[in-house]
Amino acid sequence: MKTLRYILIRLAQAIPVLLGVSIITFVLMAATPGDPVRLLVGDRATPETIAAIRDQYGLDEPVLIQYFTYLGNLVQGDLGASLRYRLPVFDLIVQHYPVTLFLVIYTIILTLPPVIILAVLSARNPNGFADQVIRILGVLGLAVPVFWLSLLFARLFGVTLGWFPVSGYGETFPEHLRHLFLPALSTMIWVVPILVRTLRAALLEEMNRDYVVTGLSKGLGQREIFKSHVFPNSLLPTINLFAVIVAYLLGGSVIVETVYAVPGMGKLMVDSILARDYFVVQGATLVFAVTTILVMLAVDLLSAVIDPRVAP
Amino acid sequence: MRVTPMFVIGVCMVALWCLVAFFAPLLATHDPTAIDFEAILVGPSAEHWFGTDNVGRDTYSRVIYGSRYALYIGLFGVIAPLIIGLAIGLLAGYFGGWIDTLAMRLVDITVPFPFFVLVLAIVAVLGPGVENYFIALALVGWVGYARLARAEAMVLRSSEFVLAARTMGFSHFYILMRHILPNSMSPIVVYVMTDVTLVILFGAALGFLGMGVAPPTPEWGIMIAEGQIYLASAWWISFFPGLAMVLIGIGFALIGDGLARMLRLER
Amino acid sequence: MRARAILTTSAALILAATSLPASDIIRIASPNQVTTLDPIASAAAGNIEAFGQLYSRLLRKDPDGTLQPGLAESWEVSEDGLTYTFELREAKFSDGTDITADDVAFSLNRVAKDPASAYPAAYAPVIEFIAVDTDTVSLTLEHPSAPMLSYMEIFNAGIVSKDDVEARGADSFASDPVTSGPFMVESWRPNDRLTLAANPNYWREGYPKVAGADLIEVGDANTRSTMIMAGEVDVNRGVPWAQIEEIDASQRADVELEQSTVVYGVMPNHAAAPFNNINIRKAAAMALNREAITKAVSLGHATVATSTLPNALRFHTDEVSPPAYDPAAARALLEQEGAVGTDVTLMITPSAEQVATLLKAQWDAVGFRTTVELVDAGLWWSNLTESSYQVTVSWWYNETEDPDLAARWAVCGECGNRSYYTNYNNARVNELTEAALQETDEDARGKMYEEIQKISTEEMAQIPLYYSPFANAYASNLQGLKLTPSLQWTLEEAEFVN
Repeated sequence: MKTLRYILIRLAQAIPVLLGVSIITFVLMAATPGDPVRLLVGDRATPETIAAIRDQYGLDEPVLIQYFTYLGNLVQGDLGASLRYRLPVFDLIVQHYPVTLFLVIYTIILTLPPVIILAVLSARNPNGFADQVIRILGVLGLAVPVFWLSLLFARLFGVTLGWFPVSGYGETFPEHLRHLFLPALSTMIWVVPILVRTLRAALLEEMNRDYVVTGLSKGLGQREIFKSHVFPNSLLPTINLFAVIVAYLLGGSVIVETVYAVPGMGKLMVDSILARDYFVVQGATLVFAVTTILVMLAVDLLSAVIDPRVAP
Repeated sequence: MRVTPMFVIGVCMVALWCLVAFFAPLLATHDPTAIDFEAILVGPSAEHWFGTDNVGRDTYSRVIYGSRYALYIGLFGVIAPLIIGLAIGLLAGYFGGWIDTLAMRLVDITVPFPFFVLVLAIVAVLGPGVENYFIALALVGWVGYARLARAEAMVLRSSEFVLAARTMGFSHFYILMRHILPNSMSPIVVYVMTDVTLVILFGAALGFLGMGVAPPTPEWGIMIAEGQIYLASAWWISFFPGLAMVLIGIGFALIGDGLARMLRLER
Repeated sequence: MRARAILTTSAALILAATSLPASDIIRIASPNQVTTLDPIASAAAGNIEAFGQLYSRLLRKDPDGTLQPGLAESWEVSEDGLTYTFELREAKFSDGTDITADDVAFSLNRVAKDPASAYPAAYAPVIEFIAVDTDTVSLTLEHPSAPMLSYMEIFNAGIVSKDDVEARGADSFASDPVTSGPFMVESWRPNDRLTLAANPNYWREGYPKVAGADLIEVGDANTRSTMIMAGEVDVNRGVPWAQIEEIDASQRADVELEQSTVVYGVMPNHAAAPFNNINIRKAAAMALNREAITKAVSLGHATVATSTLPNALRFHTDEVSPPAYDPAAARALLEQEGAVGTDVTLMITPSAEQVATLLKAQWDAVGFRTTVELVDAGLWWSNLTESSYQVTVSWWYNETEDPDLAARWAVCGECGNRSYYTNYNNARVNELTEAALQETDEDARGKMYEEIQKISTEEMAQIPLYYSPFANAYASNLQGLKLTPSLQWTLEEAEFVN
């Protein structure tokens, strides 16, 4: 019951946040120069044609009125219609969102094993050989531009070796796994080092705690203590960082989706910004924001499970 | 505080890049913006050490001059978020109450925006270019600093020396500047070093998406982006600026890593 | 060791799903976006390329470019050139209903007269299309139009189903239409791909030869090249010049250079200083080594432009040319105008970075002080149409090989687009543009277009740089597919061999 109440309160708190997000996005889009209709009808439409279509879409209404119209529809669950496609924004999001969600979850699943293995290896013998090598590789991974590396991966694994597809999403689950492997791999390169660093630090911190030292002195096995106490306790800061990483992954999807022609939210977002497709940008931003808020809530709940002291 | 060898290497790398940037006119062999129709897409040679690009400019000289932009972007891209984040975070953590609530609501609104998407949107509003990239960073990048600073300030405000300073009648401003700020800097400095790397990388990614600096500026991100289609026919156009970017990134990352260890943040 | 077992299983799953090459679906990767399937709603390249596959027109073009009967089996033109009568063949829409004269009149009146019709310029002289009986349509004009018959073949003259549009409304129609062309819509995922299936009711027996086609939207040129080299698509629309050799060497595909009506040029704003001064424009033109620019940008694949109109158009002339490269004379001209050190802002979109670098270097060498202003396409269009720019570099193409629409678009100041928004406005050119449309004598018409090109080139309405062919890559086992100068894929003729 207590947990349920906590969740409800957190969700209620999200409403003003989402309102703020929508206002900021709306102001940004309203301030962006450029006419969506021109990009829609093509180069040669005359100013008269464009004026007629702008009028039809209500684009010449004052910005404030446009916003309240939008908000009114939003409350009724209507995200508006795309100016480019004349289709409901909701449909576009339903089409693109699962792709990016799949990519993000896939990336996270691929990321976990190396993060845990590398962090434990590093923490076992701080400043030892393995630790140094892992650190240098991590620094390298952080410093390479993702789009450059992605291009090299695509050429190497896709063209030269022919192991993985370099584009698209596929139709079936195994196809999704294959098609999104290179995008996930390219993202991993910089996510893994960040998480390894945090987990390693947390592991070291835990290992120096009194209970571990005491336990060791009382003859408990090192492996036993590590598995049952040190490791679970070290997960907390890493999971917290995860929430931030998910927000980064959603945003970073812009780059990998461009390089690997993945039809996800990142591509939809960039194309919609470039085409001044206001309501799609609005809707996509809100969906991004809701996702981040939910992930953060999930992380807080998970933290409470792992360590009851941080109970909500 | 023990200085680690990695930290020394990092400092040396960044210092070296600073020297390269400062002495660029001496180190460069060509004018970085001079085109040459007779030397288009020429491979590395005695005349052009790193080859030439698609308009005959000397890649080596452009990489050398590009260090100025990289450092400029890295430095100034971090300063505004740092100052804004510090101010908001310290005030929120030190005073608490409604200031804290307000600041945290601001953070709440900014965090759910995917960082890169917001930067893209802001650059779309203001137009491409380094200065607008800085503005975008200032508007979204402050959150990380604010959180760190707030956490530190909350701990410090109830520390003995701050309480002592209060009873001695020092002003809030004095205490913030003299006690809270200096004592909360260590995790922030470490964060700065990671942030510099990311700011430079994101700048390059903007170039890739066509929202970077205008030509003929010798900026590494743009050079990599422009050189991409020549990967098979003229690899040197994107390889050398890419290498330079990795080297400067490693420099900052090593400093951050070393600082973190030296300041015992990892314990 | 459960984790290992799971990993092994998923690895097996991944490898088992090896993608089979789609044998009779042609997959085309193109940077151009499909945003609507309603032929009147847009004249943007991605849509033009799709419309041709979905809708039959009264006339059609052979792969070699000659006009052939389409939905109209035969036609007659009255003596005065004001009345056209088309006899329709028996044909069906993709839903099996008959294509009637009513549908034809409805479709063509719609493109000609609907306020939301994106590009009705070709139909300006049209009074009305009338369904005379079920298989006869007549067209009446206000004044003669020499290219009118060829306009019955262009991308927005496609025939749609009147019943379908009226029953479901234009918006629903625009995303899932009943079609009259070789293909119909299997599925459309906006911002990703349009999947076409062969239309079983298509009137041309035995066509299309393939079962379907995928028009996949891929913005990044590098990605498209990687895709075709990896065998994930069969066609790459728009290969960067620098990657032609690489793709040819891959053995998987070949790059074809196909004639296009694309022309790249420098566009000065004639309504603002400094380029409202013809001598400044002249100096700017003489500062440019257009041969060297063309060679550098296209790696020798494009042709140096001579005239303001594309070389693939009828009546194109080589007899004119912008002033030749002469930096000394350019400098002298600037000195004479007291304009040395003039600040010039060159507005570009990201795709023009290379050519902008060359322009800046050459202009600065003769005494301009050029700043390059990088903007995205949205801002570029609004600055352009509001005339808030000094000079820009751009390209355009013409959807027809007749020069009428090209002249209206690029050099006519009073035809609706203010000479591609450069504000170039020459009374004689405007007058000739109208006269040439109505002139039915071919020779006389040719003379008029030559004069238009002479005046506009000498006055530097635009400074033409180069004519650029399409560079498209086609899978080695694909035959019969090309992109025509009017942006139409010959998909119905295409097939896979061996």
